Amino acid sequence: MTSPSRRKWLEPHNYLSLRLWEAIGAGLFNLFIFFMLFAYLFPLLYMVATAFMEGPQLGDRNAPAYPSRQVRYEYQGKERLVYNVPMPGGETRQLALVIPKQTSSQFIDPQHPDEGLIQWDGSWRKLKGVYEFHPTLDNFKNLFEALPIPQMVRNTFVMTIISEIGVLLSSIVVAYGFSRFPLPGGNLFFYALIATILIPEKVTLIPTYFFFARVLNWDGSWLPILVPFFFGNAVYIFLLRQNFKSIPKDMDEAAMLDGAGPLRILFQVILPQSWPTVITVSLLHFFYMWNETRQAALYLSVSRDLSPISFGVQSFQSLAPIQNQLQAGALILMIVPVIVLIISQRYFMRDMVVTGMEK
Amino acid sequence: MSALRALTTPHTPVLRDMRYSMTKNKYRLRYDQRFGLLLISPWIIGLLLFKLLPILASLGISFTNFQLLTPEQTRFTGFENYIRLLHDEAVGYVLFETVAVGISTIPLQLVASILLASMLGNPRLKFGNTMRTLFFLPSIVPGVAVFFMWIGFVDPSTGWLNKIILHPLGLTGFNDLYSGAAVAFLFGISSLWSIGPGMLIMLGALQGLPPEIQEAARVDGAGPLVRFFYITLPLISPAIFFAIVINLIAVFGGVILLDRGNVFSGSFSPYDGYVSYILFDKMDLGYAASLAWFFFIIVMVVVVALFSSARRWVYYPDKDA
Repeated sequence: MTSPSRRKWLEPHNYLSLRLWEAIGAGLFNLFIFFMLFAYLFPLLYMVATAFMEGPQLGDRNAPAYPSRQVRYEYQGKERLVYNVPMPGGETRQLALVIPKQTSSQFIDPQHPDEGLIQWDGSWRKLKGVYEFHPTLDNFKNLFEALPIPQMVRNTFVMTIISEIGVLLSSIVVAYGFSRFPLPGGNLFFYALIATILIPEKVTLIPTYFFFARVLNWDGSWLPILVPFFFGNAVYIFLLRQNFKSIPKDMDEAAMLDGAGPLRILFQVILPQSWPTVITVSLLHFFYMWNETRQAALYLSVSRDLSPISFGVQSFQSLAPIQNQLQAGALILMIVPVIVLIISQRYFMRDMVVTGMEK
Repeated sequence: MSALRALTTPHTPVLRDMRYSMTKNKYRLRYDQRFGLLLISPWIIGLLLFKLLPILASLGISFTNFQLLTPEQTRFTGFENYIRLLHDEAVGYVLFETVAVGISTIPLQLVASILLASMLGNPRLKFGNTMRTLFFLPSIVPGVAVFFMWIGFVDPSTGWLNKIILHPLGLTGFNDLYSGAAVAFLFGISSLWSIGPGMLIMLGALQGLPPEIQEAARVDGAGPLVRFFYITLPLISPAIFFAIVINLIAVFGGVILLDRGNVFSGSFSPYDGYVSYILFDKMDLGYAASLAWFFFIIVMVVVVALFSSARRWVYYPDKDA
């Protein structure tokens, strides 16, 4: 039997023990979150590892998960593969295969080549190889040869910049109108704004495509993708309006009394206070443009020179349907958005939180 | 006397205001209303050009037998397309699938984002900002990259799912990428991989909760589960509503707030995929338009039902906020 005094550390009212339990709980909690994160991002690890693999490793069942290849040893002018060979004595030696035969093979020990050939009985095909870490850039080399990657990245950047200017200017002005001016019909226009977010894409697709491609003859150019952005985007307008509404009107009125016009109030009073939301919206648009393939598939399949990166890499699937090449393409495609997210996370993550709160 | 009206009449507010209030014609818009309309006019023009006119045009097309390859043979066929649609077995099938996807992925995303948000909002979490960013990261990876990655990951011969997870556990693993179980798995997984925005919305809502209410309930003897279901959930119901709307739009085949839709079929909506098939493979534009309009009506019914149900379960602290 343990005496009550011995179990004192278990009692919840003991200050030290409470802190200890708290620390253990927090530690387990953090460990749990960390393992969840690892599981959540595990496929990304697969993508990165496979992108640096050589082709033969993909089909090799015994190969480890990281980019690697079987250790080679040069013997008598030829490269010999090294295997883990279980010796009759019970130990396992790493030997290079020199003469493979069905039932017994000849090996050489890379550590002691002067020992001469070692006879081993058994099927060498059942032996497991010795692997070394060996990443390769061949997949990326192939990718850059098959696709004009720099040109496609440049296309995406130019498209992003043009549409960013258009969508930000128009959405900011429209959001200002929604947040600060009484509109005829009360909230009618605002309900219409929300409704446009909910309209399924397909119901507008056929006439829009016909109008752009056949009437205006914009097929094979960026115009059908970029022009609609100059008329604002309902989601961005909604997010900006919510933010503008949260800014007190006192400052507007003060500026107005000082003689500032409405546009001047927008650019000199409201925008300086809402730049985190403006940055968030521009980042959302950046990620959207980097992801965009649907419009490109509609309008740009006839002119490959104008293809954005996402659409270009998508077409790579039919060019080289081998896993390590595809993963290299995926890695190239995601690297820019990931870097942008990491750089901007201080603003983006915080403001997305605030924006969501305000629904 | 609203500050707004004063705002738009900068130099001599009182004079301008009197002048406009003296206007007899009640249909004449006030100066600030006209200026507001001018400001939102880019959006109104876009609404007409890219939404309303196309919707009406596609209604018109849906009553014809418009084919992309033979546009000169187009003629008015009345309700023929809609009758064909009602007899099309595939329509019933993809509609059923769309509903199945909706009622399985929306609750899954919702529960996952609430759980994740409540864990990532916990003050005991170390490196909170980094953790949140890393959990958010999959949501900004372009859909094509996500598609390549998952297809490779579950590949029966070279992927890691069989090699590193299932086989060491003694399970048989995926042999066929296109079997029912594999497709369901991929749908679930890819919906979990785009919960980032939903998670941030929940995080914002949870962090905005006043701690006093929780404290009061704790003092009254409410346990953590009771507090979660009877206090936290009702208080974050606006965020839940917002998240449902976002996920619903993904099921309808739209894109909002980074949602890539389902990367394996282009969208979460099998119905959307069927319309694409009729449109791009069969090039039967008249029938595709009637399919799209049929779906548009269903979507609008669901949306109206959702928004009118919101009054009963969504908590609005301040009506005129």
